[in-house]
Amino acid sequence: MQHSADATVMPGARFVDPKILSRIGNLELLARTVVDGFINGLHRAPYFGASIDFAEHRGYVAGDDIRRVDWRLFARTDRFFVKQYEADTNANFSLILDVSKSMSFGSKGVTKLEYASYLGACLAYLAHKQRDRVGIITFDSEVVNYVPPSAKHFNVLLHTLDRAQAGRRGDLTAPLQNMAEHFKRRSMLVLISDFYEDPSVVLEAVKPLHFLGNDLIVFHVLDPAEIDFGFEDASSFEDLESGEQMPVVPQSLSEEYRKLIRQHTEALAAKFSEHRIDYTLANTAEPLDRLLFSYLSARERLMRVR
Amino acid sequence: MSFLAPLFLVASAAIAIPIFVHLIQRERKRVIQFPSLMFVQRIPYQSVRRRRIRHWALLAMRCAALLMIVAAFARPFLKQEAAAAAAIGGTRELVVLLDHSASMGYGDHWDRAKDAARSAIRSLGATDKATLVLFSRNAEESMRATTDKGRLEGAVNGATVDADSTRYGPALKLAESILSRSNARKREAVIISDFQRNGWTGSEDVHFPDGYAVSAVSVATPDANNISVPSVTFARAAFSGQERVTVSAGIANKGNAPVADVPVTLEMEGHQVQTQHVKVGANAAASVTFTQFTLDRPIVKGTVRAGTDPLPADNVFHFTVSPAAPVSVLVIDGGTRPESALYLTKALGISTSPTFETEVMQVSRVSPTNFEKRSVIILNDVPFPPAAANGALQKFVERGGGVLIAAGEHTTWPQGETVLMPGTLGPTVDRTAGRGATLGFLDHSHFVFEIFKAPRSGDFSAAQIYRYRTITQAPAPTPAAGQGRAAAAPPQPADRVLARFDDGAVAAAERKVGQGRVIVWASALDDSYSDLPRKPVYLPLVHQLVKYLAQFEPSRSWQTVGQVVDVASLTKARTNWVIVTPSGKRVTSNGPLELDEQGVYEVRPAGGAVEGTPAQAIAVNIDPAEADLTPMDPAELVAAVTGHAATVAAQSPTETTALDLIDAEKQQAIWWYLLLAGLLLLAAETVVSNRLSQGERFL
Repeated sequence: MQHSADATVMPGARFVDPKILSRIGNLELLARTVVDGFINGLHRAPYFGASIDFAEHRGYVAGDDIRRVDWRLFARTDRFFVKQYEADTNANFSLILDVSKSMSFGSKGVTKLEYASYLGACLAYLAHKQRDRVGIITFDSEVVNYVPPSAKHFNVLLHTLDRAQAGRRGDLTAPLQNMAEHFKRRSMLVLISDFYEDPSVVLEAVKPLHFLGNDLIVFHVLDPAEIDFGFEDASSFEDLESGEQMPVVPQSLSEEYRKLIRQHTEALAAKFSEHRIDYTLANTAEPLDRLLFSYLSARERLMRVR
Repeated sequence: MSFLAPLFLVASAAIAIPIFVHLIQRERKRVIQFPSLMFVQRIPYQSVRRRRIRHWALLAMRCAALLMIVAAFARPFLKQEAAAAAAIGGTRELVVLLDHSASMGYGDHWDRAKDAARSAIRSLGATDKATLVLFSRNAEESMRATTDKGRLEGAVNGATVDADSTRYGPALKLAESILSRSNARKREAVIISDFQRNGWTGSEDVHFPDGYAVSAVSVATPDANNISVPSVTFARAAFSGQERVTVSAGIANKGNAPVADVPVTLEMEGHQVQTQHVKVGANAAASVTFTQFTLDRPIVKGTVRAGTDPLPADNVFHFTVSPAAPVSVLVIDGGTRPESALYLTKALGISTSPTFETEVMQVSRVSPTNFEKRSVIILNDVPFPPAAANGALQKFVERGGGVLIAAGEHTTWPQGETVLMPGTLGPTVDRTAGRGATLGFLDHSHFVFEIFKAPRSGDFSAAQIYRYRTITQAPAPTPAAGQGRAAAAPPQPADRVLARFDDGAVAAAERKVGQGRVIVWASALDDSYSDLPRKPVYLPLVHQLVKYLAQFEPSRSWQTVGQVVDVASLTKARTNWVIVTPSGKRVTSNGPLELDEQGVYEVRPAGGAVEGTPAQAIAVNIDPAEADLTPMDPAELVAAVTGHAATVAAQSPTETTALDLIDAEKQQAIWWYLLLAGLLLLAAETVVSNRLSQGERFL
């Protein structure tokens, strides 16, 4: 495993094996385990002012600011109630998770979907801690779940992540275009997918999300088997999404495959970079905290530049 | 190349298994689910497909191994070799035993038998061999082992019923011998007969080894009716110097139904003499006596015919009748006692077959001419006759005459005539003091005493001999022999002691001289020395002695088919004879003659009539046993010779062919080599594939 070697390279860091993370049933606990102790935040506050999200009424007690008395309610009930508001939030944080069938692949005990869920939970946790509104959209060939960003939706987000199942063929263009129409407010969008499409197609699909000044972060999740193609015996390979099978003698084409996947990731990185989209290749064999650490460190550096 | 079980070749489809394993099966078994084949598909597909079968040699080995194993199970054989083997050794050896004995002439038995024989022959395959054996009393190969059905059928068509009796033993032995010489895999014998029970005694030592098939085809007619004439008898009587004969014929009915009014006809010399009618009960016999007739020629041929039935051969009985030829006996008597020859002459006068013409002559009156035309001379207690001196008696014996010496007190024998005397006559032993001597030893193997062999057929111990002459026979000369016995006559190889007294003394001895015989009886043949003449055995003893010395051969009025007669002894002449068989064939012979036809054989001197050698006739009839058509169970016969139940008759040619192929396949045993080669290939394949798999991490 690569991460054990990397752990020695980065003293002081406690990188946790994704397989160990997978044993933690509670995503919140998992996110806290991964995230607590580092990081300043995903972003700087996009707006200035307090939060105005109404939370609840409570009875007036002496000492309360009378400006917070809800007079309308007093008029109806002849009793004093004070309006309470949610904590202030700065931004919308939407997690866009690919739950197509190909995401169910995992050669090292953790599937890409699981890894993506952990990653998404961690990022959402970070956002939630920054009092950002968090939401989630899962999609395959169409939008599967949509949880709009809200300061109260963190648990819903975790629940959605927990229930996410990869079952159908995936498509990027249609669902992403569809959901882009719904982002009316400047948001931070985190897209997690394995991007089995041509890089140009991927970029075309992703572009609409980038409009309206959204901050788009892309995580390209791949299993080490997809990257290294470390198969040995000649076998029949079945496409998880299409079900198509074809005989493959890995030794004869592994070299070529690795070359192709490398070209693919490089092309993606290049194209996203051109459009100022953060692109990160996430290897599921890589410890999640290390990924976050390295990503956030890089982002922080970039923000300073910005 | 052909296959016995070609259906197994369907299994050669299993050759697809290694190909399937190579191409599909193993890859399908290990299906790896992969997120997307997007990049795999971009790699040129041909490069993957081309590598599907990497080791053609390995694939070829696997396929070849499978093909060999499948071919082994299909049991291949080379057809040409099978045909060649069949041509060399044949695949089936059939012996057709066709009964052509006289009884097969009954009704349509013979036609049905020939049909059965032809049917058996037609069942032969192209390479099968068959032998046709015709049998009756004997068996002969009518057609030796051949595959030529035409010749075999021709032999069957040309076969005829003969007149001989039925015996299964020789035929079965011949069949067994033929089959044992054959190298055919299937060896069969088929017996086609009416299966007369008389032809099988059960004591025949015939056994077919295991693997030989014996089948039987019976043409017998159940409840067959048959009238036969098994024999005739003659009653002779003399009338005014001529002999008159009365013929009686026995008529047997072997059927289960009585027959009435059976005409029985006597024919003499081809002329019908008399016909009588007789009624015969079921399985019974009757006799018919014809009118007496006079024998007016040396030999008269006669025939008795009785009724008509499906088997005519046994309804006829041929015979010949000749005037009785008396045996001339000269009794030389001493004349000392008037009745000394009484017992002898009375005894000889009683006999009818033959009759004895006895003349008693005083020893003093005998001249050498009296010896002529005599068959036997009896020296009845007389001194050596002067007329017999100088070798006269010896010449008589050497020519074939017989001399009986009854040694009494008057008997003397000169030293110069010892050549005729089987021993030396000694003094008289008187046993009157006691109970007398008895005959303690009789050589029952000798013709004289042969008739007394059976129990209660002659009690010699009752006869008492009071006096007898000692006869000393010199032992065979040995180096240790002393000079003291030189006086005894030198023993001759032909000397034989016929009887001894109870004290061991010689009672009777024989010597053969030339063609004649001399017997010395140590006691007198009248009642002066013994009471033997008053005992019942005296009469047959005298008859036997005289018949033996006269070398009497009873003339037979008929013979049975299959018997052999010596023409020379029959005619008593050493010239060649022309024999005309009943069917008209002429045979010149002076030796043994086999009588194989029913009827009368004419025997005439070759080159015309010779004085003193009259023509002869031999009447020949079929064996009376042939008239008994009672059949036996063919299965019983088959079981007796094979040790197991009867088998079904001949198989069809197609079955034979199939069996031949099986046989050829067994002999070639190609399957064994194929199986071995297939297994070796599989073993080699294991080694090769292991090595290859070590070098490579996939197929």
